[in-house]
Amino acid sequence: MIVGEQKPLEEIKELVGDYERILVLGCGTCVTVCFAGGEKEVGILASSLRMATRMDDQGKVFDESTIQRQCEWEFLDAIEEQIRNHDLVLSMACGIGVQAIVERFPEARVAPAVNTTFLGLPEEHGLWTERCAACGECILYRTAGICPIARCAKSLLNGPCGGSQDGKCEIDPEVPCAWQLIYDRLKAQGRLDQMLDIVPAKDWSTSRDGGPRRLVRDDLRLD
Amino acid sequence: MKYAKGLLDEIGLGADRLEMHFISSAMGREFAELTTEMTERIRQLGPSPLRESGNDK
Repeated sequence: MIVGEQKPLEEIKELVGDYERILVLGCGTCVTVCFAGGEKEVGILASSLRMATRMDDQGKVFDESTIQRQCEWEFLDAIEEQIRNHDLVLSMACGIGVQAIVERFPEARVAPAVNTTFLGLPEEHGLWTERCAACGECILYRTAGICPIARCAKSLLNGPCGGSQDGKCEIDPEVPCAWQLIYDRLKAQGRLDQMLDIVPAKDWSTSRDGGPRRLVRDDLRLD
Repeated sequence: MKYAKGLLDEIGLGADRLEMHFISSAMGREFAELTTEMTERIRQLGPSPLRESGNDK
């Protein structure tokens, strides 16, 4: 999922400073699951802002709404009226949702209440960790299902490096060495010989190095 | 509670205005002590900043 984290209230107060009628808009997908911008968080943030701005003698209105996905036109179109009736949409979606709103409704003023952090999973309750860098060319079949692009600090294709000590990465004793994880998994699966395969240089043009990416599926296009 | 107290601090209302205790019906003395302590604390903190701003809804 896309993992996000709510911005500090002080920062959000500054973002809404110049506006009076504000729509706090949640997203019912990724940010709901990671407790950053779902219906519950919309309620808490809107209440917090009502109290905080009232104490500053600012007469602001904070309305609340949550749609299933802010990154799809169909769901955004359903709240067009609400968006048009507010000075500002305070989006609690990931950065994609924020951009989708202003792309669909170019006159809308939109501010992000959430920092989009990474693509990851809830490793345990209250702990999310990065799993995918969306590099555009998956090599998980080579690495026993553990991604060295996202999980190795150097994104090494042939690891580990000399900074791997006691199974941890030199950048932080709490960060596991991805290549140690790969070694352990391959060993447990009885295919440690794969560690000897030299992976050639990766074509990074499918990643961010190739600029903004697009995906076209002719079989799905309507025209 | 930690989360709610953090929110109250961020909002500017102050975390000290909120407490939660677990007390059974057989703990009358503890109940009285805690409510007295909370009442004194609230008196020291004064009226809610929201009330002072002219709207305590």
